[in-house]
Amino acid sequence: MSSSSSPAIEPDTPDLICQLDNVQGMVDALTCVRWKRHQDALVELSEHGIVLIVEESGCLQAKVYLQRELFTKYEYGAQGRPRFGISLGLLVDCLNTFSSPGHSNTIEIKYPGPDMELLLKSVDTLNSCIYSEIRTRIPETVTWDYNFEQAGIAPLTFTVKSAALKEAIDDLEWPGSSVQISLQKEPPCVIFRGEGHGDLQIDFMYYANTDLLLAFHCDTEVSYGYKYKFLKATTANIPGNVVRENRGSKLTIGRGGMLKVQHLVSVSKALAPQVESAGYQPPSRIAYIEFFVKPEEPAD
Amino acid sequence: MELSISGNALKTLSRSIICLARVGNELVVQASPTQLALHTLNASRSAYQCITFQSSFFDVYTVSGPQAHFSVLLKAVCSVLRTPLASIDHMSVQLPDHDASKVKWTLQCYSAVLCKNLDVACFRPVHNSMKKTYWITCNVEPDIQHLSLDRGRFPSTLVMHPRNLSKLLGNFQSSLQEITIIATDQTSFPSDAASEIGGKAVEFRSYVDPTKDGDSLLHTQLWIDPSEEFLQYTHAGDPVDITFSLKELKAFLAFCEGCEADIHLFFEKAGEPILMAPKFGLGDGSSSSFDATLVLATMLVSQLQEGIPAEPPEAANSTGGHAAEQVGSRPQERSRQNASEHPSDHTRVWSELSGTATKSVNGTEDRPQAQGQPDLDIHRIRNMEISKGGPVGDTAPAAPPKSQRPTQIDHAEGSRVRVQNQSFSQHHPSNWVDANEEEEDDDEGVEATPPHNEDY
Repeated sequence: MSSSSSPAIEPDTPDLICQLDNVQGMVDALTCVRWKRHQDALVELSEHGIVLIVEESGCLQAKVYLQRELFTKYEYGAQGRPRFGISLGLLVDCLNTFSSPGHSNTIEIKYPGPDMELLLKSVDTLNSCIYSEIRTRIPETVTWDYNFEQAGIAPLTFTVKSAALKEAIDDLEWPGSSVQISLQKEPPCVIFRGEGHGDLQIDFMYYANTDLLLAFHCDTEVSYGYKYKFLKATTANIPGNVVRENRGSKLTIGRGGMLKVQHLVSVSKALAPQVESAGYQPPSRIAYIEFFVKPEEPAD
Repeated sequence: MELSISGNALKTLSRSIICLARVGNELVVQASPTQLALHTLNASRSAYQCITFQSSFFDVYTVSGPQAHFSVLLKAVCSVLRTPLASIDHMSVQLPDHDASKVKWTLQCYSAVLCKNLDVACFRPVHNSMKKTYWITCNVEPDIQHLSLDRGRFPSTLVMHPRNLSKLLGNFQSSLQEITIIATDQTSFPSDAASEIGGKAVEFRSYVDPTKDGDSLLHTQLWIDPSEEFLQYTHAGDPVDITFSLKELKAFLAFCEGCEADIHLFFEKAGEPILMAPKFGLGDGSSSSFDATLVLATMLVSQLQEGIPAEPPEAANSTGGHAAEQVGSRPQERSRQNASEHPSDHTRVWSELSGTATKSVNGTEDRPQAQGQPDLDIHRIRNMEISKGGPVGDTAPAAPPKSQRPTQIDHAEGSRVRVQNQSFSQHHPSNWVDANEEEEDDDEGVEATPPHNEDY
């Protein structure tokens, strides 16, 4: 083919060609960070995988890490790390057209297309082919790319069931607009408190052998306030099936009160290859979701 | 005041709160050493519900002093009960002192133990790993409204399973606001008529406000044989009808069904309140440590004088008593006449019910005058007062009760006498609102604290 084209121009190899055999898993992962109808996302490609970043008001940032092990094929040919902007809602809606209930489809993702588009194509359907091009944008600079630092000598962190965390944050909508999160050493406890036209305090007590607080590390008592709407964004859009997996969600309070919330989303095949190993997920088949929430400025 | 509750009692309390929240916006809590009473009154003061729990209903029940009382917004209490009941070990409610500004509600929640050895979750409660504490703003000097009606004074009653009543109501369109129940004497049918009609002594009829444009509305009538549908039915003498709001009835139905109780309706006639209560299987009230009543105001104007016969027409025989759709020009004409003749076709409001309660407690006449006029902020009511200056003046020389009795006795003579009866019942124009204003009041209910009549 190169002889048929203009001899002066060599055809470019794409920066990335990858194939994914479980579209629904990717949709679930991206849905976790979809807190508005229209969101601009930044996508960064690297030899390690794909990272998608969304942010809001300079106070809330979310990242989805899709490592290369999630893909059945991952051919990376770029120099440096390509970045492009894309509409998150549009991307999720397009991906949804490739997934049908009870059926596992394989899609191919290619970047860039002839006009710098993101190309999606179904590859394992026999009699038909679904193909879509998504226009990309020149990425805007992220206003803050926080280098998360731990607060003290040891990280202040706790892991709680995702369902329990979501329920607690849903309950805290009632009192008002701000939520105080405190880590207490004795007795070991995580406290969420909202005050407004009513007050609500939710205590997660830490005991061994219970699955509510799966882990708790606190050598210094800390307490920070966060706007409710940003805190709600960290759990409100987790798909129901992900919540029902009931994995732990890990929360870490960093330097200056920056809150990191981490969820795990399975991106394995819908049908487990072996029944015996259905309960076990290889780490490489999991997408990582991270939220960063800035604390409210303390009013003096 | 402090109480603690768990298990099935917590489910009943939750069900009660949900039912009360569908009636009114504000919950009045009264605690005496022997019982806890929860009251609510809707914004248009046409529906009143009271649920009482004996102290034995609770795991812990402590009241310091003769009584403790406060009021809170029902939607705040519903926020507390948003937590799934299955995960609540127990709930406690504390009013720290008599002038506290907030009531403390605490939920101790289960967590499950994951038996990792078995590779399967063994969910059994071990620790109360999660605790939720709500502080709800309260008013320790609530406007307490009381309405206690003697059930024995109602001449007509019916008892049925709530599921059956829900099925009967399912024949009516879901957007229906009010319903008319017409009760006739089961034994008054001639033998041949009874065989034809099948003894259907009770009629359910959709009520359509005659002041609205009703040409396109659906009319539904349902004739019911009490011996087939009702567990108990009591009515003697001439037919009577009551027209009341469906919304509160449906909420109460759900409550009775959840409590596994039958629903008991007590009524008298148009304009008098209808009383509802759960009826438990093993003797009324003896096997339960709680009780509930719902009182609804009814339309003042009787539907029996609209010209639609209470007896089912011949055409209904072929349908075997199923719901029949009947829209005729004659009923509409009569409805219009009724609208022009009686523009104040309204539901009696709370103050009249209060007056009734006060009088019945004192053992005086059944048709009392209102004790003063309630201070309603509705502008249209004021206009009505202005336009009805004459009738208001006529209320001063109230007719003595003896003169009313001959009128009631003579009512069989014809519609003229009934018209005169209606004129008596409309001596208190400031005591009622029409359906539209009821809707407006429902909108006003969105306010944090609904207005209360200080006189009561």
